[in-house]
Amino acid sequence: MLESVTSAALVSALDGLSARQRAIADNIANVNTPGYKAKRIDFEDALRASVARRDGHVKATGRESLDPTRLDGNNVNLDVETLSNIQAVLSYQFATQAVNGQFSSIRTALRTA
Amino acid sequence: MTFDAISIAGSGLSTHRIWLDSLSDNISNINTAVSPNEEAFRQRYVAVQADKNGPGVEVVGALFGDPEGRLVYEPAHPLADENGYVRYPDIDLGEQMSHLILAQRGYAANAGVVDRAKATYEAALQIGRS
Repeated sequence: MLESVTSAALVSALDGLSARQRAIADNIANVNTPGYKAKRIDFEDALRASVARRDGHVKATGRESLDPTRLDGNNVNLDVETLSNIQAVLSYQFATQAVNGQFSSIRTALRTA
Repeated sequence: MTFDAISIAGSGLSTHRIWLDSLSDNISNINTAVSPNEEAFRQRYVAVQADKNGPGVEVVGALFGDPEGRLVYEPAHPLADENGYVRYPDIDLGEQMSHLILAQRGYAANAGVVDRAKATYEAALQIGRS
């Protein structure tokens, strides 16, 4: 219970989402830097596969975006970054709630003993 | 590293602020006349790059525009030479204004990242409470 697939998957999701938030912060900080390539963080597909294998431990992987660049060689899209930032924040809050739910189930189990 | 996203956005905020400062310096000197034997006000360009030592952005220096400027025939001007010319900086106001908008929007975008990073970290601090 304390080291279940669910908690491992939630921790992996929290790690991946916070890595994504750092990447987005980097992308937006460099929105006007000539030659900068946007960074992307992937973990969802690997996490889904890992949960199917009853594991849940996944490391997020980073890559550079292949989106077309502007004339200055930069390919950061402010709208895309802002939207995925908001999405990452909400997913993160959602995952923290799920973690808290896990903890409160454990607490309930401890009390019934 | 604990609150990384906030400091990354902070580097973006200060870079865009420096850009705004240099643009306002350029615009405020757009009509600074000198006599033709002196250098005109040199337009400032901010050089930036993605931070080499980790995420974020950094200002690596300033580049200066051409001191040649343009000569304008204003014989009544106190700084005019014997042919009646004074030297003005050759700054394109339209270009400066559009860069000003880019810098301002970039600054606002980074300020938004700070807000959202704060919401995430606050959620993280709630883990285990309830």
